[in-house]
Amino acid sequence: MNEVKENMAYKPQYGPGTSNVAANRRKQMDPNQKLEKMRDVTDEDIVLILGHRAPGAAYPTAHPPLAEQQEPDCPIRKIVTPTEGAKAGDRVRYIQFADSMFFAPCQPYQRTYTECYRFRGIDPGTLSGRQIVECRERDLEKYSKELIETELLDPARTGIRGATVHGHSLRLAENGMMFDMLQRSVLGEDGIVRYVKNQIGEPLDRAVAVGKPLDEKWLKAHTTIFHSLGGTAYRDDKEYVEYVQRIHTLRTKYGFLPKEA
Amino acid sequence: MAKIERTQKLFLKSLKEKFQGQDVQSETTEFYKFNGYHQSPRKEEFVKASRAVEMDRGISMYDPVRCHLGGIPLGQRQLMTYEVSGTGVFVEGDDLHFVNNAAMQQMWDDIRRTVIVNMDLAHQTLQKRLGKEVTPETINEYLHVLNHAMPGAAVVQEHMVETHPGLVDDCYVKVFTGDQELADDLEPQFVLDVEKLFPGKQAEALSAAVGKSLWQAIHIPTTVSRTCDGGTTSRWSAMQIGMSFIGAYRMCAGEAAVADLSYAAKHAGVIQMASHLPARRARGPNEPGGIGFGLFSDIIQANRKYPNDPAKASLEVVGAGTMLFDQIWLGSYMSGGVGFTQYATAAYTDNILDEFTYYGMDYIKDKYKVDWKNPSADDKVKPTYDIVNDISTEVALNGMEQYEQYPTMMEDHFGGSQRAGVLAAASGLSASIATGNSNAGLNAWYLCMLLHKDGWSRLGFFGYDLQDQCGSANSLSIRGDEGAIGEVRGPNYPNYAMNVGHQGEYAAITGGAHYGRGDAWCFDPRVKICFADPALKFDFAEPRREFAKGAIREFMPAGERSLIIPAR
Repeated sequence: MNEVKENMAYKPQYGPGTSNVAANRRKQMDPNQKLEKMRDVTDEDIVLILGHRAPGAAYPTAHPPLAEQQEPDCPIRKIVTPTEGAKAGDRVRYIQFADSMFFAPCQPYQRTYTECYRFRGIDPGTLSGRQIVECRERDLEKYSKELIETELLDPARTGIRGATVHGHSLRLAENGMMFDMLQRSVLGEDGIVRYVKNQIGEPLDRAVAVGKPLDEKWLKAHTTIFHSLGGTAYRDDKEYVEYVQRIHTLRTKYGFLPKEA
Repeated sequence: MAKIERTQKLFLKSLKEKFQGQDVQSETTEFYKFNGYHQSPRKEEFVKASRAVEMDRGISMYDPVRCHLGGIPLGQRQLMTYEVSGTGVFVEGDDLHFVNNAAMQQMWDDIRRTVIVNMDLAHQTLQKRLGKEVTPETINEYLHVLNHAMPGAAVVQEHMVETHPGLVDDCYVKVFTGDQELADDLEPQFVLDVEKLFPGKQAEALSAAVGKSLWQAIHIPTTVSRTCDGGTTSRWSAMQIGMSFIGAYRMCAGEAAVADLSYAAKHAGVIQMASHLPARRARGPNEPGGIGFGLFSDIIQANRKYPNDPAKASLEVVGAGTMLFDQIWLGSYMSGGVGFTQYATAAYTDNILDEFTYYGMDYIKDKYKVDWKNPSADDKVKPTYDIVNDISTEVALNGMEQYEQYPTMMEDHFGGSQRAGVLAAASGLSASIATGNSNAGLNAWYLCMLLHKDGWSRLGFFGYDLQDQCGSANSLSIRGDEGAIGEVRGPNYPNYAMNVGHQGEYAAITGGAHYGRGDAWCFDPRVKICFADPALKFDFAEPRREFAKGAIREFMPAGERSLIIPAR
């Protein structure tokens, strides 16, 4: 994990805003703040949900371990310490999330920023209905465990979905679950959500429990999305809106008259 | 920014129709019980039709049960109908794909098969170089000959093949001029009468701009431009013009002076509807990627029919533009498949963009005293950073709040790019109509995008975000290859060439700046006059209504082939 060195001249601010939403965003992004652990999911269960390799199977490789292959004389390689997955020559694999706009604890750009601050050697991609992060496979499994076990995930309103991700903007099902055409995860009568298919939609040999959905009060207190119905209205965080306006105006000026920027 | 009261919600009727028996403000619903694609009569029709095709050709085809996601067909949630905005007509989403919609096809056909050609140079050459007399009578005779020849008939040679008039009935030529005296001397069947077609002030401005010159509005056969391409239009037209001059004015076909006439009549004063594209896009003139936004806003005629409603006029450009630029140009010329249609239709269905835009109209009237129902250059607001930011922010925030407060509307526009395009279009239109400045409108668009992204922590897809997160910087730049005024930007503008959900809206933002000022045209008065023609197959004053007619199978297009194929 990354740590912000105290002797750095620049101190990250992790975004503007006076609202609770803005504060939640900053907390998630700041690697010096520990994310609250909400559930236990075993390493084997993480591997099952990801669906990239069978539990216990060796990591397939894209190249020999770095120690065994001839590395070019490259100053960048001397500066950057490879991750464990890169050292071993792992394949690059992914985990992808769909986050409900009904107060899921994390949201696509927020996920990307958070991952960039907290993880190394990653390649995130951000869309409206899904967010993917790619990296070396053993690194991915380590990062996925944090992404799944902590406050970044709600079992009902966060989906782990490789394809057919549709659901982030739809009304919730009457049991509180976000729509998933493939119904990869189901809410049991015991109130526990279990994955019965891996993220790409292939049935699992056994269900993987990810815990109980978080309650509405907790979700609204920890949400990172502005929402005028039941949450914090965007317009109420004036500092945030003015910050975006300022960025826009500076970019506009720079586009045609850089000296004024 | 300050929220204003607006009790009317234009989208409510659509939502209530689409989600019948449900509370449109509820946050929950039921899924997985709708019996898949069977809930859609149109998709049932597709399956039936496909079975017949398979029996006939012996090759498998449409099979949603087997082929959609390993056996899970579409329709695990409710498949919605759509109201084409401003029409009250509900249609199946499938029927807004251009393959299933004859009106959409014809709109593009009517643009692609059009070229405008000047007559003054030809008349001067006839008079000065060839010693021919040119009078209203000779012009009428020439137009008779040309309307014989343009569809594909011979006028000079003997023993020539010709086209069947029943197959090319959409092909004809009319003329227009700002010289009302000349117009009155020509046969009415051939004249686009500016005074009759346009409201008084618009007619006056258009006539003054065109002056005494005489122009031909030429529409070659739909079938020809479909079989060939947009680049054919001026060539087909040029050949028939040349032969008609020779025939009508009794000229020698081989005389050297005819070369002068050929150039003057066929090539010297030609207005294509679209410029040709660079080799990497590999299209000739009169193909969608080369249509400038200002010119497109002149093709669409809603501001002629609704001069006191610049919002509606702009929304019609959005509908026509997203259909042409998103569904046909990017969706099929440059890419493929059906996803672009699902995306593009959000901007012209269910009155959602309409509602957001009229909120913007109420806002600019309330805060800036812009009397938008009486378009004029006099009450336009100075496009300062503060004012553009204010209008854009308020319209963007209002739209986001509407999506939040009506979860069924969020479900209707279930893709982030749909919402982003609609919100930014409303912001851009509000700013451009308020200021009369198309670049101010574009600037408002980009602020909306940034606000949207930060508010909901999401925007569109990768490429969408690429374009919109760097757009602020090019919105007011007019340096070569880095910017341009909105009127001369187009689908091939460097930063606009890549993705769906923008180009139709940009065209409307450009148009809105002029509609809000009460201008008679945006970029070219001749194009505005040409497409005012009531004889065109597609009514360019009502594109969304025409699309609705196409969707319910009531639009009759050109391109008839039943005359030359076996009876069914």
